[in-house]
Amino acid sequence: MRQSILEALAVGKSYPGVAALKGVDLAVYPNEILGLVGENGAGKSTLMKILIGLENPDSGEIRLRGARAELAGPAAAIRGGVGMVFQEGCLLPNLSIADNLFLCHEEGFRRWGLLSGRRQAAEAHRQLEAVGLPRLDPRTIVGELSASQKQMVEIARLLWLSRLYGVENPALILDEPTTVLQDNEVRILFDILSRLKEQASILFISHRLEEVLQLADRICVLKDGSVAAMLDRGQATTRGVARLMVGHELAEERCRESLQTAPGSEAVLEVEGLGLAGRFRDFHLRLARGEIVSLVGLLGSGKEEVCRCLSGSRKPDQGTILLEGRKMRFASPKDAIAAGIGCVPIDRRNEGLATSLDVASNINLLVLRRLSGGPLLSPRRERQNAGRWVEECLVKTPSLQTLCANLSGGNQQKVVIAKWLAAEVRVLILDHPTRGIDVGAKDEIYRRIRELAASGISLVIMCDTLEEDIGLAHRLVIMKDGRIVRDLACPRGAKPSPLDVIGDIV
Amino acid sequence: MRAAWRIQPIHISLAMFLALVAGFTIGDPSFLSLYNAVTILNSVAILLAVGLGQVCVILTGGIDLSVGSIMSLVSVVFMMTLGPLGAWSYLAVLAIGTAAGFLNGLIVSRLRIPSFIATLGMQGVLVSVAYLLSAQPLSAPDTAYGILELVNGKLGPVQAVWLIAVAVFLVFYLMQRYTALGRTILYMGANERMSYLSGLPIDRARTLAFAFSGFGAAVAGIILSSTLYSGYPTIGAVYVLNSIAVVVVGGTAMTGGSGGVVNTLVGALIMGVINNGLTVVGIDVYAQQVFLGVLIIIAVAVTFDRKKVAIIK
Repeated sequence: MRQSILEALAVGKSYPGVAALKGVDLAVYPNEILGLVGENGAGKSTLMKILIGLENPDSGEIRLRGARAELAGPAAAIRGGVGMVFQEGCLLPNLSIADNLFLCHEEGFRRWGLLSGRRQAAEAHRQLEAVGLPRLDPRTIVGELSASQKQMVEIARLLWLSRLYGVENPALILDEPTTVLQDNEVRILFDILSRLKEQASILFISHRLEEVLQLADRICVLKDGSVAAMLDRGQATTRGVARLMVGHELAEERCRESLQTAPGSEAVLEVEGLGLAGRFRDFHLRLARGEIVSLVGLLGSGKEEVCRCLSGSRKPDQGTILLEGRKMRFASPKDAIAAGIGCVPIDRRNEGLATSLDVASNINLLVLRRLSGGPLLSPRRERQNAGRWVEECLVKTPSLQTLCANLSGGNQQKVVIAKWLAAEVRVLILDHPTRGIDVGAKDEIYRRIRELAASGISLVIMCDTLEEDIGLAHRLVIMKDGRIVRDLACPRGAKPSPLDVIGDIV
Repeated sequence: MRAAWRIQPIHISLAMFLALVAGFTIGDPSFLSLYNAVTILNSVAILLAVGLGQVCVILTGGIDLSVGSIMSLVSVVFMMTLGPLGAWSYLAVLAIGTAAGFLNGLIVSRLRIPSFIATLGMQGVLVSVAYLLSAQPLSAPDTAYGILELVNGKLGPVQAVWLIAVAVFLVFYLMQRYTALGRTILYMGANERMSYLSGLPIDRARTLAFAFSGFGAAVAGIILSSTLYSGYPTIGAVYVLNSIAVVVVGGTAMTGGSGGVVNTLVGALIMGVINNGLTVVGIDVYAQQVFLGVLIIIAVAVTFDRKKVAIIK
C-alpha cells in the first residue's frame, strides 16, 4: 500500500446534542484527486475543519505522511502541507494579488530591510503562471478578480506556501469550488486541477455528482457522519452515488408522517411570476391553508432567495405576492410580519435569537404591544405569555430567565418557533428547522410542524436532507438554476423515494 | 421556575463600590462625613443623568460623543434665558438638549452614519453654537437665584438635586424595563440582524435612544450650571469620557445588549466616589488622572461580562 499524504483515522467529533462524525477513516494518496460527497449535515464540513486544524477531533487521529499530527490550526496545517480553498474565499479583497500571495511571509522579499515590490511581483507572476494565469498582473486588486481567478490565487498561495515550508506533494482541500463558477470556468478549474495532480493531492468536495464523477479518481460518500462507501472512478454512477448519499432508511416512519393532515382548499399565499435578477425567475406557488410545501434544490438553485423575498428581507424585481387575495409589497421584514408571514432563519445564533438575552425576552419579542397594561409592559403578562409558549413548544429550560446561550440547539430552535407562534403568523417559513439538532429534538420539531399545519398555519420549508423534505411536505417544489423544474405531490402513505427526485435536483 | 442565583456583573460593581468607600474611609475618616457625603451625591447626580442617557445609546451598540457639548450648550442657553424666561428656561433647555439628541438619532438612523462619526461632528457643531452665543462665561442673574433653588434648594435634609436624580432615574428605569422601546433598544444591541428580521422598529428605537441621551445630558447640564451659577462652552467637555466611564464601570458592555440603567446607577456612584475620594485622601491633583484611569480599567476588568462578548475592540 502506498504511503498516504493525509489520513483521518477513526475520527469522531460531537457537538452538544449531535454526533457529527462517527469514526471516519479517509486517506488521500499522492497524486490523486479524491472526491468527497454527502448530503448537507453528513459531516463534510466538520471533517474539513478537523483536517485543517480548525477543530480538534474528540477521538481518532490525523496523520500526515503516516505520522500522527496534532494540528493547532490552519497555520500549522499549512506547514504540514495541508491547505484549504474555502468556498467563500479567504483573500483580502483590498490588497493586490502579490500582497495576498505572500501575506505574512514577506521575509524573503526584503531588500535593505524594506520589502521589494518588484521582487514580489516577479515571484507572483511565476506563481500565477503555474495556475494558468500568466497574463494576470500581480498588482491587480483581488476585489476586482472573478470568482474563479480568486480561487486560482488561493491555490497558488497554498502551493507557494508548501514550497516555502519545503513540503513536497501538499494536500489541497477544495470546498465546493464550483458553486461560484460559470460552466467555462469550471472546465478551466478542472483542467488545472488535473494538471496539479502531478505535484499535489486534492480533496474535492462537491454537491454536484456529475462533476465529482468526471474529476475524481476515487469517491468517498459520507452519510450521517460515517463513510458509507469508497468507490473507484470506474465503479461509480451518478445514480449509485446518489443512492448511497441518501441511504436506505425509509422503512421506519420518519418525520411523523402519520400525523400528516390534508390541507384546506382555500389558498393562503399565492405567488405569481416572482423573479429576482440573477437568482431566480418565474417562480409561482399556491400555498393552501395548513399545507406544507418544501422548496428543494441545491445551493444556488434560488430557493433561499425565494424565501427571502417571501419574508420581506429582499425585494423581488418582478411578480406578485397575494396573501389571502390581497396584493402584498414588502419593503422590509416588518411588512411581511405585519401581514402574517414569519421566518425561522437557518442561522439561529445570528438571525434567530438574541442569545445573550433570556428565554422570556426572546419569546415575547414580537408581541410586546400585546403585553402592555396601559403605557407600560406588564411583567405578569410577559411571564404568562412566555410560560405558555415554553410549555406549548416543549422548550426544556431551567427557567424563563435562563439565557438562550445556555440552551441546547434544539431548545433554542423551539424558542425561535415559539416566538413566531406567539405572534400568530399565518404563514411560517422554516429555513432548515432541524439544522444542528439532535435526533430526539428533531422528532419533537417534526411533531410541532405537523400540529402547526393541522391548526391551519401554512408552511414553506427547506430541510437539511431530502428525506426530511419528502417526509414533512405535502408537496415538493424542486428548483434548479433559478427555475422550478418539478412540482411533486407527497401524500401520506405514497411518498416518493428520494431517488425519484434527486435526478431533478442535481 | 427560578434561575439559580449566580454572581452577575452588577454584584461585582456593588462590591467594588463598597470596597472603594471602605478604602477611602480608611485613608481619611472624614470621607464618610455628612458634608462630604452630600458633596459626593451632588456630583453623582450629574454623572447619573448624563450616564443614563449615554447607556441608552450604548445599549443599542452605538456611542454618543455629543453629550458634553449638549451640556455646554444647555448651560449657556440656560444662563441666557433665566432672565427673560424665568422658570420656563428649564423646559426650554430640556427641549433643546432632547432635540439635539433626536437630531443625532436621525443622522445615525436615516443617513446611516456610524454614531461615533455623527456625534463627533455634532459635538463640534454644538460647541460652536455655544461659543457663538457667548464666548465669555455667563453667570446667573441675581434675580434668578430663586428659580435655581429648584436645583440648589433643600427639602429638610434632602437636597433637591437628589430628588431630580431619583426622578430622572425612575424615568429611565421605567423606559428600559417596562416599555416596548426599552426592550427594542436591548434587543437591537443584543442582535441587530435578528431584530431587523423580526420586524422590530430599530430605526425608531435608535433615534429615540439618542433623544433620551440628549435629555439626560440636558438634565446634567442644568444641574451643573445651576450649582455653579454659570455657563460656558467648555463646561461639559469632561463629561463625554465621564459618561462613558460611568456606563462601562457599571458593567454595561460597549458592544450593547447587556447591562442597563441599574448598572449605570452603580457606575455613577463608583465614579463619584473615586473622583471625590482621590482628593479627600490627599492624592496630588496632577496624579489623580493616573489613579482614575487605572481604577476605571480595573473596574471594567472585574465588572464587564466578557463571556457574552466574543470580540473585544
